[in-house]
Amino acid sequence: MMVRFLIPFVAVVLFLLEPEFALFSPIDWGGETVYFVPRFVILYLIFISIYYSRKRACLYGLIFGLLYDVFYIDIIGLYSFLYPVVCFIAGSSVKFIHQHLSVTTILSLILVAIMEVVLYYFFYFIQFTTIPVGEFLSNRLLPTIIANLLFLIMLGWAFKYLINARVLQRAQDNS
Amino acid sequence: MPHFFSNKKLILLLVGMIFLVALISFSLRDRQNASVPEQFIKDTVGFAQSLVAKPTNYITGIFNDINSLLNTYEENKRLKMRLEDFAVLQAEVNTLQSENESLKELVGKEESLTDFNPLNASVIARNPDQWEEKIILNKGSSHGVQLNMAVMTANGLIGKISLVTPFTSEVELLYTNNPNYRVSAIVQGEKSDIFGLIEGYDAERNELILKRIDSSFKVNVGEQVVTSGLGGVFPKGIPIGEITEVTTDDYGLTKLAYVKPAANFSLLEDVVIAQRTVISVDGSDGGNTNADLTNETKSKTTDEGEE
Repeated sequence: MMVRFLIPFVAVVLFLLEPEFALFSPIDWGGETVYFVPRFVILYLIFISIYYSRKRACLYGLIFGLLYDVFYIDIIGLYSFLYPVVCFIAGSSVKFIHQHLSVTTILSLILVAIMEVVLYYFFYFIQFTTIPVGEFLSNRLLPTIIANLLFLIMLGWAFKYLINARVLQRAQDNS
Repeated sequence: MPHFFSNKKLILLLVGMIFLVALISFSLRDRQNASVPEQFIKDTVGFAQSLVAKPTNYITGIFNDINSLLNTYEENKRLKMRLEDFAVLQAEVNTLQSENESLKELVGKEESLTDFNPLNASVIARNPDQWEEKIILNKGSSHGVQLNMAVMTANGLIGKISLVTPFTSEVELLYTNNPNYRVSAIVQGEKSDIFGLIEGYDAERNELILKRIDSSFKVNVGEQVVTSGLGGVFPKGIPIGEITEVTTDDYGLTKLAYVKPAANFSLLEDVVIAQRTVISVDGSDGGNTNADLTNETKSKTTDEGEE
């Protein structure tokens, strides 16, 4: 019974922790201002999408994307579109990839990188940012991917363990 | 993949896309006000956020304490050197203050642009995707926060309120690309104060840009920039920063100066919202409509009277 509620609960906790980690950024690193963007929720949702259920992940993606939009961005429809799409792509890729933890980690980081690029072009288009592409790649994308890689190395196995526990439980309920 | 998308799904997707584009453009247009459901979501998430923010602030506080403990010796040496200067300065300030008060009494001037009620607030979140420099505070309109109020730390100005809900408020930091973001400022020059406007910032230098300085005045590197209070909402005299370079602007008519901000923008935890005691006007600090914000009904009647 516990595991059932643990999955959305972890997502909520990660959602609330994201801005706290964002308080550490930006950091001055050897004369350059480096930005780390925590992407915990979407990484977790990608894991759910791959190991558990694509539909469920898309639903969570919609809900958390909407919360993100309303609370932080004030542009409704940006993250509430991107999160489900990323989850959908991740869930659809299950047929083509091996479900090993390292493969999932790399795939989710690639997806997050693509999402960051899309967001960059969106904000560039509506002129919220004027930084050139090169600077975006070196000062934002790269540090963000490294920081999120560290996060997944530390907690990826725990996500997998938790989600597998839920899958097992559901299989038992059905039988 | 022949049946990857069935026809029905494709139509649903297209309708969804159109709906999304409409939503995005709709919410982009009016970002200064939040609708009732938005306010509800913001307040609910803000409440949960403040619960999480307290323990995390405590933990980061411990790390900061350890860090400052390690630097104590160095800092102590430096502070001792400055202490002697400080005593002299303090005596000077005291005499000036008492003189100022007695002079004010003499003239009969009660209110000053520099007076403000400080409202303490803590930062509960920072916009995690950091495309816009925004922080969220745990005080809202029910505590008396209003749009465009000045937000500062002990070191200086950091931004202004860009959105208010009953229990939270959003601060747009000085580092923003918003072209409508202005703060009216003065440079405290050698002889007289020089008026200018903080408009935008230079991403490469990481410094603010002070524009529209009259070219007949001489502005020197190292001079202090403070808020002028003439923008209508901010109180006078909040430190903004120090001038690092002076050039002429693109058209050559006015001067332009780069300002290094006085406040530290990383790891913001506790901030002060400045409610000024003099009436607020929606001037260049805000939306430039020149409406009276403190007593709105009164301003309407006076407007009609002028016409």
